[in-house]
Amino acid sequence: MNPTHLVLVVNASLTEKQSAVITAPARGSLLVTGKAGTGKSTAAVLRMRQMVENGIDGDSILVLVPQRRLAFEYYKAIHSPDFPAGSQPQLLTFNGLAQRMLSLFWPLIATDAGFRAAEPPRFLNMENAQYYLAGIVEPLLLQGNFESLTIDPNRLYSQILDNLNKSAVVGFPPGEIAERLTSAWSGKTSKSNIYQQAQECALKFRQFCLENNFLDFSLQLSVFREKLWPSLLCRQHLNQTFRHLIYDNIEEDFPVAHDFVEEILPNLDSALLIQDEGGGYRSFLGADATSAQRLSGKCSSQIRLTSSLVQTNALANLETALRESILEHRLLKYDSSDARSSYTIHSFRFYPEALDWVTGEIVKLLKDSTTQPGDIAILTPYLSDALRFSFANRLSSANIPFTTYRPSRSLYAEPAVQAVLTLAQMAHPSWQSKPSPQQARSAFAMVIAACDFVRADLISRTLFKNRDNLFPLLSFQGLNLEMQSRISFQVGEYYERLRAWLNENLEQGAHELDHWISRLFGECLSQPGFDFHQDYDAASSINRLIESCREFRKIYQPSAKTAVSGAGEEFTRVLQNGLLSSQSNPRSLFETNTDVVFLSPAYSFLMRNQPIKYQFWVDIGSSGWWSRLDQPLTQPYVLNRNWSINQKWTDEHEYLNNQLTLARVVTGLVRRCSAHIYMCSVTYNEHGFEERGQLLLALQTVLRSSARLEGSADV
Amino acid sequence: MFKPRENQVRILQYQRGKMGISAVPGSGKTHTLSYLASQLILKGELQNDQEILIVTLVNSAVDNFLNRIGGFIREAQLLENIGYRVRTLHGLAHDIIQERPDLAGVANQFSILDEIESERMIAQLSAAYIGLHPEIVSHLQNPEADLSSAGRARNDFSSLVSKLNQDFISQAKDLQAEPETILNRVQRYNCSDPLLQMGIEVYQQYQRGLRYRNALDFSDLIRLAYTALLNDDGYLQRLRQRWPYILEDEAQDSSNLQEKMLRLLVGPQGNWVRVGDPNQAIYETFTTANPKFLKAFLKEQGVQEMTLPHSGRSNLSIITLANSLVQWTRESHPLPSLRSALDYPLIEHTPPGDPQPNPPDHPNAVYISKMKATADEEIKKVVENILNWLPGNQDKTVAVLTPIGWYGEKMAEALHAAGVPMVELLKSSQSTRRVAGLIEKILLALDDPNSSKKFTEAIQSVWTWDTVEGDKLNEIKSLLPLLKKCSRPEDFFFPQPGKTWREAIEPFEVSEERLQEFEDLRLKFTRWQKASFLPIDQLVLTIANDLFSVPSDLALAHKFALLLEFSTHLHPAYELKDYAQELAVISGNFRKFSGFSDEELLFDPDAHKGKVFISTYHKAKGLEWDRVYLMSVNNYDFPSAQPYDTYIGEKWFIRDNFNPQAEMLSRLTGLLDGDEALIFAPDGQATAAARVDYAAERLRLLFVGITRARQSLVVTWNSGKNKDKTMALPLEALHAIWRGTDEAA
Repeated sequence: MNPTHLVLVVNASLTEKQSAVITAPARGSLLVTGKAGTGKSTAAVLRMRQMVENGIDGDSILVLVPQRRLAFEYYKAIHSPDFPAGSQPQLLTFNGLAQRMLSLFWPLIATDAGFRAAEPPRFLNMENAQYYLAGIVEPLLLQGNFESLTIDPNRLYSQILDNLNKSAVVGFPPGEIAERLTSAWSGKTSKSNIYQQAQECALKFRQFCLENNFLDFSLQLSVFREKLWPSLLCRQHLNQTFRHLIYDNIEEDFPVAHDFVEEILPNLDSALLIQDEGGGYRSFLGADATSAQRLSGKCSSQIRLTSSLVQTNALANLETALRESILEHRLLKYDSSDARSSYTIHSFRFYPEALDWVTGEIVKLLKDSTTQPGDIAILTPYLSDALRFSFANRLSSANIPFTTYRPSRSLYAEPAVQAVLTLAQMAHPSWQSKPSPQQARSAFAMVIAACDFVRADLISRTLFKNRDNLFPLLSFQGLNLEMQSRISFQVGEYYERLRAWLNENLEQGAHELDHWISRLFGECLSQPGFDFHQDYDAASSINRLIESCREFRKIYQPSAKTAVSGAGEEFTRVLQNGLLSSQSNPRSLFETNTDVVFLSPAYSFLMRNQPIKYQFWVDIGSSGWWSRLDQPLTQPYVLNRNWSINQKWTDEHEYLNNQLTLARVVTGLVRRCSAHIYMCSVTYNEHGFEERGQLLLALQTVLRSSARLEGSADV
Repeated sequence: MFKPRENQVRILQYQRGKMGISAVPGSGKTHTLSYLASQLILKGELQNDQEILIVTLVNSAVDNFLNRIGGFIREAQLLENIGYRVRTLHGLAHDIIQERPDLAGVANQFSILDEIESERMIAQLSAAYIGLHPEIVSHLQNPEADLSSAGRARNDFSSLVSKLNQDFISQAKDLQAEPETILNRVQRYNCSDPLLQMGIEVYQQYQRGLRYRNALDFSDLIRLAYTALLNDDGYLQRLRQRWPYILEDEAQDSSNLQEKMLRLLVGPQGNWVRVGDPNQAIYETFTTANPKFLKAFLKEQGVQEMTLPHSGRSNLSIITLANSLVQWTRESHPLPSLRSALDYPLIEHTPPGDPQPNPPDHPNAVYISKMKATADEEIKKVVENILNWLPGNQDKTVAVLTPIGWYGEKMAEALHAAGVPMVELLKSSQSTRRVAGLIEKILLALDDPNSSKKFTEAIQSVWTWDTVEGDKLNEIKSLLPLLKKCSRPEDFFFPQPGKTWREAIEPFEVSEERLQEFEDLRLKFTRWQKASFLPIDQLVLTIANDLFSVPSDLALAHKFALLLEFSTHLHPAYELKDYAQELAVISGNFRKFSGFSDEELLFDPDAHKGKVFISTYHKAKGLEWDRVYLMSVNNYDFPSAQPYDTYIGEKWFIRDNFNPQAEMLSRLTGLLDGDEALIFAPDGQATAAARVDYAAERLRLLFVGITRARQSLVVTWNSGKNKDKTMALPLEALHAIWRGTDEAA
């Protein structure tokens, strides 16, 4: 069957069961289950629309999702021109709901929760929480804490926060973190010491937050759960506001979110709960598919969608074969002749060869007019900067539009961001950090349109002088004519404009650097003659910089320990040190251009939750497909409701869990593919090591068995 | 097709259990072990997820094994690379940690600090320590030596202290002692030794530095892999299931920890084949490696003990000389405690009809020079001898071995001056160094875009990357000087509107083809200049994609990109020129960097006939040549623990002929073993013991040297810098025995 046709079918007509979901009465609770690709969310989106069309107030419908990205289809529907006018359904995560309620009822619970009620709550995002935690942990590191661990400080901070978050999403007191971790540790050398230290840091941070009216993710959840939710006022408010619930991907959400839904379920007019069979990708973040199972028992009716609207038979066979070979190490039932057409494996000795091949295949695919860039995904276990860049280069030179999604990419890695921060440093001579001549050179070449790298070098040599507390840029007119003509009068003109702007705004961004950058961009850098004029990528990077800077300013408070005083200087310092590293900008998630090749780690693709025609799996030998991201200070499967205290986490657990994860990821990928999977293996990985991960071994089992069944040896 | 001889066949009949093989030099142990591995695979006893694990000492041996096993597997028409894994011990440890970093207390995606970075860090910490604790200088210094001026002695002193700390740290790690553990012991025994105090403090700081970088050094790899295995029995069982057979090569150089780790992996009922030659153990000084582990294993209950006594490598004369060294040591060494330095069995000539027969003997196979000579005279004599010998032996291989590298360099200079063709043993392959060198030049040019000298050099390197000859070369040569004179680089790279780049340099005439190439190169440079905003890894990749088309070159560039990106974490303030410097140490062959191309590290002497190979004795291990020169066999490089001997470990600027490494490490061992006799031993006791250990290892080194030769061997010595050194005692004995043999003949 032609898979393109299948995808179209999804949009054109509906299966009987999907229609049943859409038209189910707006009363009582309905659970819809099914594998990925069976059209569950499509039906739910249509039902939401149906409800509004039938006169239900949009804002009485709460669409709850575990992660904002998963609300994309709902968002698209609501914002489409033909969506019925009137109030809109509310798209929220549980955490978003908690934040909203906390803001609303703050005076009611602040004192009881240990805060100062007179001042508003200040919500910390992950980066800013890390920033303040760093201030608490750094002195302890110097005293010799965590000596037996090899880990860079940023990851140390994120794991300490992770422990707090786990306590909040699972629902146990943070004082139990160390005890839980220690009791599960089966190693012979003791780790109780470092677990204890991690817990102390967590508790100190908690105390710090309480004293400063800060609410990090964990406090938002626990204050909502323990203080606000029990209050009658809040319950009544929620009860009156939301009469209908659509809760998608319940298996990807936290136990405390399930607790909440379980409680409100009986009082709602209607509820639609959707569960992806085989999901649970976010379990390392605390998502709990077992806990979600609880909710299914509370629903008054249930519909199971069974036929995939995406997968071909061959892909369905591949799915079975891979799952069996991962979990059973052999194949019980396998229709080799059919599955073989759904995938190809190509082996290369070196990494770049594989990248060339992937690009070449994509070019071939796109020659066929029925295939669009948006039909293709390139998936890797990890996506290093070098790998992302290598692909970007190849795809760009083949004129293939693409997008990458990688949550951990550092903002400071963007050249436009570096240039703007260098200019900010120049305009704040009182700051302790000064840009180097090389940074200055890059900034000039980056922002002045006519200025090439060589002339920028001349400017930096002749017109840039770092001096204590003095503006470092000298006047172009002060140069001799020979040098002026070398730099060129055109470049000189724009240099002077930039210099004048910076000079006029000297030392004005000390506190509100975000405003300062925003003005620099609007009044100068985005004007004709400057490079950011009509450069949308740079504009979007600067946008993120401004936003991150603003968030930081809102929560920044100078401490006696930091040598600097203004939020602007401190922001610049920590950004350059890599602490504020995340680019994850919730807004940008909904703005992606969809007809582009999607390059991302496999996990991000799964969380994007959209089927695609062609998948390229790069480096199937990597152990990254299998092993969990190791976190020496935390343990997502132990800090979990399904784990009984005093049970030991052994290698068997680790192994089985990794195998299950691999099976889940691979199954999830195959279910989201409608035409073909291209896999490539490389002898030497990016770092030059030979790797033979479990995915490769599983594929070998599949290949061997298919060779046996076909009686051929040409595998 | 490999035809095993009889005692090799007996080993190939191995099925399971523990087996220890003592193999003499040239007995074909690598071949036998590879063949055994392929036999075990071909028998089909392995399950889908099982592998034969082969552990070797060095990377070159890994490739060697992979090639041989791959060959056997191909012959049998099976899939290569499946069912076996060849690793150095460090490689194996890396695999073990990477699969379960949590058990080793490491965050995943950790980096590995190579030796150069690690030495750099320790050197910085040591210098800082000396600055803060000047008493360490007075503790060690010979009162007659003047260290106050910034001369050579001062530098030597600093590098000695740094070396002390390196050895201390790596020994402590091998003994699995954290800095805190050692500190506790120091307090418990109330030990105030300043060297230990220094070692502990530098060790602490060093570990802190590693942690901040999420990095491990080589010693950590093994220590933490062992910890991971101890930590989780389930993991251990799973690995035992995965590797049902472990084959270990060069087992005589097994360290304490290697032995413990492999023993744990094998398990009480497991299958373990260990091959080695206790007489070739040459890595023991200041490490915990020791041939006693292999010797003990051979005698263990339940271990099948085998020997491979036949060697087809050398002719009868050379075998006899090597055996004489063993016999003299065992029976006549004046110091009884050194008599066990070498051990039986003796090397046996192959029996008639052997598939790998010995080369024919001849009367001039061995020459031992008795004559006293200065170092310069020794070099001169050897060069003359080579000049005489080489022209008539263009189809033969030849090596000159020296105990230390700088003496080999002096020898190389002399040979070069005499016009003798040479081969070098490289840390990195030619192509690795070329790629590193090219990118280095480009980065230097980008760092300083107004230097016409730098970009001319870079453009020249790119242009002549593929061999260029004849007219083309002449044209390029005519163009480059003009470019170098360019005074306004901005007009060359980015001409103003209405102008052309040609106006930026003096007028020239070249063919259309050359002009086009030149223009292309210019455009590439402008593209790289624009890319120089990017993080270093991305810049290197951009350059590489523009330059290289050979997959191994591209893969190398990718590896360099990651290496440089890692330096960003170590040195956040790095600029382009610093990255260029990092590549310079690779291109200049100062830093070992494993690339990808086939020539990498695998050195085959037979591919370099008619050229002279120069190496240290140590690096020659595992290799063989038709003719070998052993140089500098005097009582300094090969002392025998006699009262008149002097030692490399006892520096003139250190007081009382004191060997600080020996003293420091002996106290460390004492502390960790709770041995008060060692902790509170008087100064000098460890120095004396170290002399004996060193003399024993040098006897084995001499044995290794002799057994490198197939057909002829020349042994010479010199009287050293102060002209007071004598012929090494064992060499004197061999000379006497050899002359006796001559006379009898």
